[in-house]
Amino acid sequence: MKTWAILLGGLLVWTTHFFGLYAIAEIAPSRWITVLLTVPCLGVDAFLLLRGRRLEVRDTFAGWRRSIALGGVALSLVAVCWQALPPWFAGTE
Amino acid sequence: MKSETGFDPDLFNRFPTQGDRPEGEEEGLKRVWCAPKGWEYLTVVNNNYVGIYYLGTAFLFFLLAGVLGLLMRVQLAAPLMNVLPQATYNQVFTMHGTVMMFLFAVPMVEAAGVLLLPQMLAARDLPFPRLSAYAFWAYAVGGLAFFGSLFIGLAPDGGWFMYPPLTSKAYSPGINTDFWLLGIGFIEISAIAGAVEIIVGVLRTRAPGMSLDKMPIFAWAMLVFAVMIVIAFPSVILATLLLEIERAFNWPFFDATRGGDPVLWQHLFWFFGHPEVYIIFLPAAGMMSMIIPTVARAELVGYRLIVLAMIATGFISFGVWAHHMFATGLPPMTAGFFSAASMAVSLPAGIQVFSWIATFAVGKPRFNTPGLFAMGSVVIFVTGGLTGVMVALVPFDWQAHDTYFIVAHLHYVLIGGMVFPLFAAMYYWIPMVSRRPLSERWGRWVFGLMFGGMNIAFMPMHLSGLMGMPRRIYTYLPGSGWDTLNLISTLGAFMLAAGVLLFLIDMARNFRLAPEEGEAGNVFGAGTLEWLPTGLYSTRSIPVVKSREPLWDDPNISEDVERGRYFLPRTATGRRETIVTSPLLAEPQYVQIMPGPSVWPFAAALFTAGFFLALTVQAYLFALVSGVLGILAVLCWLADTDLPVPENDVDIGAGIRVPTYVTGPQSHGWWAMMILIVVMGMIFAMALFSLAFLWGNQPSFWTAPPPMLEALPIALGYLAVIAAAWGTRELHRIGKSWAILPALAGAIVAPALLWLDIGAWSAVTAPDAGGQGAAVFALFSLQGMVAAIAVLMALYLGWRQLRRVVTARRNNTLDLTCLFIAYTGAQGLVGTLFARSIGA
Ligand code: HEM
Ligand SMILES: [Cu+2]
Repeated sequence: MKTWAILLGGLLVWTTHFFGLYAIAEIAPSRWITVLLTVPCLGVDAFLLLRGRRLEVRDTFAGWRRSIALGGVALSLVAVCWQALPPWFAGTE
Repeated sequence: MKSETGFDPDLFNRFPTQGDRPEGEEEGLKRVWCAPKGWEYLTVVNNNYVGIYYLGTAFLFFLLAGVLGLLMRVQLAAPLMNVLPQATYNQVFTMHGTVMMFLFAVPMVEAAGVLLLPQMLAARDLPFPRLSAYAFWAYAVGGLAFFGSLFIGLAPDGGWFMYPPLTSKAYSPGINTDFWLLGIGFIEISAIAGAVEIIVGVLRTRAPGMSLDKMPIFAWAMLVFAVMIVIAFPSVILATLLLEIERAFNWPFFDATRGGDPVLWQHLFWFFGHPEVYIIFLPAAGMMSMIIPTVARAELVGYRLIVLAMIATGFISFGVWAHHMFATGLPPMTAGFFSAASMAVSLPAGIQVFSWIATFAVGKPRFNTPGLFAMGSVVIFVTGGLTGVMVALVPFDWQAHDTYFIVAHLHYVLIGGMVFPLFAAMYYWIPMVSRRPLSERWGRWVFGLMFGGMNIAFMPMHLSGLMGMPRRIYTYLPGSGWDTLNLISTLGAFMLAAGVLLFLIDMARNFRLAPEEGEAGNVFGAGTLEWLPTGLYSTRSIPVVKSREPLWDDPNISEDVERGRYFLPRTATGRRETIVTSPLLAEPQYVQIMPGPSVWPFAAALFTAGFFLALTVQAYLFALVSGVLGILAVLCWLADTDLPVPENDVDIGAGIRVPTYVTGPQSHGWWAMMILIVVMGMIFAMALFSLAFLWGNQPSFWTAPPPMLEALPIALGYLAVIAAAWGTRELHRIGKSWAILPALAGAIVAPALLWLDIGAWSAVTAPDAGGQGAAVFALFSLQGMVAAIAVLMALYLGWRQLRRVVTARRNNTLDLTCLFIAYTGAQGLVGTLFARSIGA
């Protein structure tokens, strides 16, 4: 379980953010709620990034796990920012 | 990580063992894994056979759907042609799209997984051989019956995504649409069965030492593929179910005049439909990542990046479905971030393409046929990807929507992303199963014709689309400026077909199936395990894996494997068996005893197909009989599984002993049940979404649900069902002989609770009264189905208890039944509370 959480952490943040956006847009479209969702997600990503950098690299498996984890978090950071932009520009107050 | 299960990795150093193995071991393996004769070909379950059947059938559907494509091209070659009348044309394009997507693309890659995965992972077979056989037969019988509808003029004609209201009873009164809904719903069940098999196979039957970071890319691709199927397909299964119910019983899920919403169909369909595109692409990309290093004679550049890209694709592709719905008038905010995610999903695909190009660049590529197809695939796929980014821009999409530009785009993506990799794969892996490889000289012609033909056929469609030619039209007037472009497209299509024909002739010349031995072998000099010498039992012994390309890194490995110097060089219990390993580091955990050939999966598939077919033509009595026989066949198939064997543990080589049976979360059966529960849960979650969606979009049709407080006893009842299931497990653990009684009681109480709930709702609304009633009663129907399965499972458990095959140590059937009954309780609980809270 721990390894899967490390491997998929960043992408799970992305998933939360995406479906959160969807819910906001369908139920109560508002750019400020979008911010309220996006900032914590970025925070979690940043936290995962810091934790991930400190992961052990003792053997090839651990090293591999660390790079997949970090890559996933980096991708998640970019994608979360990116998909939060249109709601910011198109969202209603 | 030192160890995952407590297994000492130093034990791996005992291999390869020295000296010769005792006489007779190989004969033992051969006897247990013997080849079928005569009628027995219908009962085989071994992946070597089922995989080939599966591939052959899927390829047949490619040819059939391809012929339909050619027919359309003939009709469109010039204005006002009269080859296919309008109504027939509608059936032909619908069948072409549907068969290509559902009967060719997905089954083809699933088949490749069934055939290749056990070889690549050096397992003796996939963990549920009878399930693969069932999945295959269900697909083959169901698919052929479905295709047959074309010959009696009853084929579906609503396009491959079957939008209501066009497909509602009012506008499509015939049974054409029902063929689609029931046929596709049924075939998806078979796809899910295959996915269960693949997930458990990849995570639990890898060769010892093959930790996740040493897993071949194809196995990664298939893992992500199968997980995506499990998440995505329930959505389309639910959608087909709802539409069929609307048509048969007048429950208005999609009827906007009565509180339903046709856009709900689009959501449900595309939540499946877009991931479907990646479901098709990922395994093909996985094949490419296996072929290109061999062709380029270099290690794959960026293995880690590719794994990451595949996982990321798996996630992000679930966040783009609404880009197929830009033209429905989505709220601007929704359109905005769906557009953003659609662009983001091209990043991971880009990573893979760059890795392939880099691998070609650093290596010394050979321009053999697999290499040519791989390179051609990259070119075509990138072209399709570029037009994909174009239509992800909402304003551009408003222009291009429903024109031939889209037809061009989707064929570039699908042919580049799936058909070309598939041909590369066939040229590459045929020497693994055939005595002779295919001809290289002919291969170049096949490639040239297909590559040229593809571009000549589909490139002009970009233009005709931008010039305004709509898709799905059976003809057009002269002078619209589309004539020449269409003629060129038709010529290209025939050129492409000529390439495929040449391939078929070469297959007839050179393909000689060699399931037992005598394959052409590793002609391309690849480094992964599927190129070890094999028999019907796969490899003679199961090697310890220390790197990603073991055949390149250890020149003796083939010889050592062949002489039985690794794991399991014999049959340890005298039955079919394979080693089950841990999911992360692949440490040996136990020996799984596998079921042998059986006619029951075949029979079960026949009867389930009969059931669905009878429903389509409204022969309800026949459907009932067929359904009951189907269930009986499944019970017979299960009856001789999960049986005790005399040995509790066995030596799997070099003195390492493992058990022959484990229970609980370690066992492969538990994993399969958990996946099944996820499937059920996804179907149910999509039904909950449907209810909420209708409420959000059709609030004026809503009536107040029954009060929440009245649901309290029902909710408590469901909690008791969960507790009973859990109690049975605990009681069994402490050795009570009457342990199964609480579970039996729970299984019987669940339908009663449902009955109470239905009673309360019937006082408020009815299923045909409006969207709300329909959606609520759909939740109840699903709950009823799950509850009925739980009762069946409980009875089966009781019967096994009477036969005394549920013992203290061997209790997987008990575990799995309890899991499912607990799930039944949980689903009931959520459904009751959710239905009453929406619009309260
Ligand atoms: C022999 C090569 C092929 C030819 C000549 C061909 C031809 C066509 C044509 C002309 C259409 C447009 C029909 C219309 O809108 O009126 C079409 C639609 C379509 N094709 Fe193909 N095709 C070929 C291969 C494929 C492959 C390999 C796939 C998928 C793996 C595929 C999937 C589809 C789909 C999904 C549609 C949309 C059907 C619909 O509108 O409902 N085709 N094809
Ligand atoms: Cu899409």
